[in-house]
Amino acid sequence: MDWRTHIRRALQTGVNPPDEDVVEELTQHARAMYDAARAEGCSQEAAERRVLAQIDRWRDEKAALRHKARRASAVEPPPPSGSAIAGLGHDVRYAYRLLSRQPAFALLVVLTMTLGIGATTALFTVTYGVLMRPLPWPDADRIVVLHEKRGGRAPRFGSFSNTAYLAWRDRADTVEEIAAWRPQTFTLTGAGDPERVRVTLATPSLLRVLGVRPLFGSLYADKDDTSRVVVLSEGLWRQRFGGDPGALGRILQFDGEPYTIVGIAPDAMGFPDRQSRAWVPFRVPLPAGNLLAMFEAVAKLRPGTSPGQAAAEGSARGRFAVDTGMTTMAIFGGNGAVEVAARPLADSLTADVRRPLIVLLGAVGLLLVIATTNIASLQLARATTRRRELAIRAAIGATSGRAIRQLLIESLLLGSIGGISGFALAWSLNRGASAILPADFPRAQDLQIDATVMLFTAIVSVTVSVVFGLLPALQVRRMNLVAALAEDGVSPAGGGRRSRIARSRLAIVAAQVSIASVLLTGAALLGRSFVELLHADRGFDPSRVLGAAIPMPAPAYTPERRTAALQDIVDRVRAIGGVRHAAFTSEYPATQGGSTSSMTLPSRDGSGGTIVAQASPRLVSPDYFAALGLRVLRGRSLLDSDTQTSQRVVVVNETFARRYLGDTLDVKVPMGVWGGSPHGDATIVGVVDDVRYVGATVTTLPEMYFTYRQLDVGMRSTIGTLLVRADGDPSLLAAAVRTAVRQTDAALVPAQLMTIEQRLLMTSLARPRLYATLLGCFAIAALVVTGVGLFGVLSYTMAQRTRELGVRSALGAQSSDLVALVVRQGMRVTFAGIAAGLIAAAWLTRFIGTLLYGVTPGDWPTYVIVAVVVAAVGALACLVPARRAARLDPLRALRS
Amino acid sequence: MATTLLARELKRGSTQLLILALLEERDRHGYDLARLIAERSHGAISFHVASLYPTLYRMEEKDLIDGRWIEKAGQRRRRYYRISKAGRAVLASQRSTWENFFRALNRVARITHA
Repeated sequence: MDWRTHIRRALQTGVNPPDEDVVEELTQHARAMYDAARAEGCSQEAAERRVLAQIDRWRDEKAALRHKARRASAVEPPPPSGSAIAGLGHDVRYAYRLLSRQPAFALLVVLTMTLGIGATTALFTVTYGVLMRPLPWPDADRIVVLHEKRGGRAPRFGSFSNTAYLAWRDRADTVEEIAAWRPQTFTLTGAGDPERVRVTLATPSLLRVLGVRPLFGSLYADKDDTSRVVVLSEGLWRQRFGGDPGALGRILQFDGEPYTIVGIAPDAMGFPDRQSRAWVPFRVPLPAGNLLAMFEAVAKLRPGTSPGQAAAEGSARGRFAVDTGMTTMAIFGGNGAVEVAARPLADSLTADVRRPLIVLLGAVGLLLVIATTNIASLQLARATTRRRELAIRAAIGATSGRAIRQLLIESLLLGSIGGISGFALAWSLNRGASAILPADFPRAQDLQIDATVMLFTAIVSVTVSVVFGLLPALQVRRMNLVAALAEDGVSPAGGGRRSRIARSRLAIVAAQVSIASVLLTGAALLGRSFVELLHADRGFDPSRVLGAAIPMPAPAYTPERRTAALQDIVDRVRAIGGVRHAAFTSEYPATQGGSTSSMTLPSRDGSGGTIVAQASPRLVSPDYFAALGLRVLRGRSLLDSDTQTSQRVVVVNETFARRYLGDTLDVKVPMGVWGGSPHGDATIVGVVDDVRYVGATVTTLPEMYFTYRQLDVGMRSTIGTLLVRADGDPSLLAAAVRTAVRQTDAALVPAQLMTIEQRLLMTSLARPRLYATLLGCFAIAALVVTGVGLFGVLSYTMAQRTRELGVRSALGAQSSDLVALVVRQGMRVTFAGIAAGLIAAAWLTRFIGTLLYGVTPGDWPTYVIVAVVVAAVGALACLVPARRAARLDPLRALRS
Repeated sequence: MATTLLARELKRGSTQLLILALLEERDRHGYDLARLIAERSHGAISFHVASLYPTLYRMEEKDLIDGRWIEKAGQRRRRYYRISKAGRAVLASQRSTWENFFRALNRVARITHA
């Protein structure tokens, strides 16, 4: 019997022919059935009846007896004629039209891209400019920075001594030349308004080591090293002389001394950075009369020699250095053998910002990942709604390759717009960088957006576009053409959560939450560390204290005149309302000070022997301790009654006492530490707390405070520091203090007039604050982007599950149940992300361990806070979709 | 009424399990599957052959099994079904569900299954 015809007729519905595959399969089944029946011994009729009965049952099920095509079995288009890029222009035009029809989507993507690429490019500009861009000086890779130690001890200030320098300079084998320099700030007069300018005092050899070439005129040579000549920077020359070449030969004054302009040097060559506005000759002094002069030193290696070889030679030559005895003790705290270290210039300039920059670059990279995945997630959602469009394209002959190309072109179009606007953002951020970066940030002037940065942005934009374009493209490859065309925009109940796309999107959100948790943990640790730094015990009370530096350059001001002027200023300031204490000092507190002395003191073991002590002498007015709020630990502080006619007294800090004093204070310190004529000894009458260098790498050294009233030699430091403790807000006193200074001497201009807290923020706290702020910004941006992502995914699944929720509601689910359903889905993803993020953070935060103060990377309260904050953001993102679920009208939902 | 409902429900759930279990052994064609189900249950599961193919097509659509035409020498062209990776996962989970179900039944009503 012809089973095939029977079966085909049985499966026929209306005009639709049955599925040939199915007919074939059932025919085989029928044949096998017949054969089996015959084998059992049935008659031919009985066997046929059995099979026909089966065919009848198939007829009842004919609606279900159809294959649904699982793959896009579209007709393949004819092989493409012409080039591979045919139709590319068409695709671009199509993408443009499509995106302009969905402006909200396009805008969201471009904004996210702008944020991600802008932040990444801006930070790359800084990282590249500081860590990777070649230094401006030719052969800079052969320049090394020299550091000298004596018996393992680093100098109190400066890096290199004249004795070690002179012992090496004329017999150098491993280096072409060594050079010395010292930064200095002068008051410039004689060319317009007086101005404080930074000048580099440099040996003529430094100009050769750096390879500086003048724009005009000449540089100074070895024979000029004592002449009063100056090489101006291009910037200062343009500012003061309007770029007039006739400036050569003109004379201007630095601190009242005349200097002849001999040349103009390009700004880019400025050393140690472009802040330095001029070069003047520096001669390394001979160690006559045990003079140990400290300065900075560099050397240029001969080709093929290593820094290590140069250091070894420097140390060896240093054995022939002149012994300056007590002076060496004063500066190095010991008198051991000279040890020289040499470090490549680029390293030396940027060593302490390398790690923070790399950490920040990593953080901004994570932010970019979050931004990118958000876009990918949006694209995935869009791909679901575009299934029909893509299916139609496939049905009329587009290959999947062509559809993927279309999607990639759309992504690239969005990516390029995002990349360009991100670049613009980075460009404007970079212009503001000089204001954001601390003044002492290395190579801050080398930050510029150039071809390398542009290339970086282009690569990042294209990569990001391809990544977020690829995910939806993969979905296209999996698309079921018939199902896509048939579904008519209505999704099956429960599909919102179970579909592959929905699951990918939830996984993406979980990853985003974990990255945001990592960034937030880092930012929180740096933030807490910054707060710890801010409130750290510095030994004094920095709040409500106004400080001012008052430059009093020689020779206009003699040491005696300085003391007299400062005393007069303090008297005037005291008379201002709201001033509690006013004092002056020769060294700004919490700085290492510009001078240090050594002296012999009786040994503390009572053996009658002596020890050599090293300490920094400071000249202060008696109110200094009260103005600074420095605690007196033992004895007393200085008093107004300590005068020329009373016993000479000195107050020391705790480090001094711990190191050199026993139980008694009754120790004499030679007044000779102040130089000049001998003044006998001063008795230690009190110990005050240390002024601590919180968060800095330097430690507090012994200090001695003398009252100016007992020192007739006056103040040798050319900059006096005024300290004013106020009853209220100290910054309100600034104008009055300025007036008081001017009334004393019209030529005096207070500089750095600010509260001590402001100054701490600008100096030792500036970098911690910058790092904490930047990482904080990245973390907040990451949280916002993640929150938006979670919100988007939940809203999307909500929309997909509308019918399901409608059914639940119709079956009696309360709106609280529906809310719980949505919130549970959102929070499950959030908590998974937080758990993964905190584990990753526990590992990653080790890299910022060295940047932390007063808090460890494993600080668990921080992790708890981060978890709570991220969970709160997650809950917030659930809120709107949950409210929508609560208000769901079951009738409308079911009908939709 | 209630027992009929339960029986129908049990059968619907078990059909898939039976097919997956048989395909786990080796690839088979439709007639083979129908014959084996009847044989191995000694007729206890009166499997409605009509619903076999719709079930197979549904399972294929869900990627649980893969059907393909195979021509063996000296035989007619036949459509063989093979269990997929997803099918194996579903089979494992259904097996444990059924086992749990029987264990629970046993605890409550002391019914033991083979």
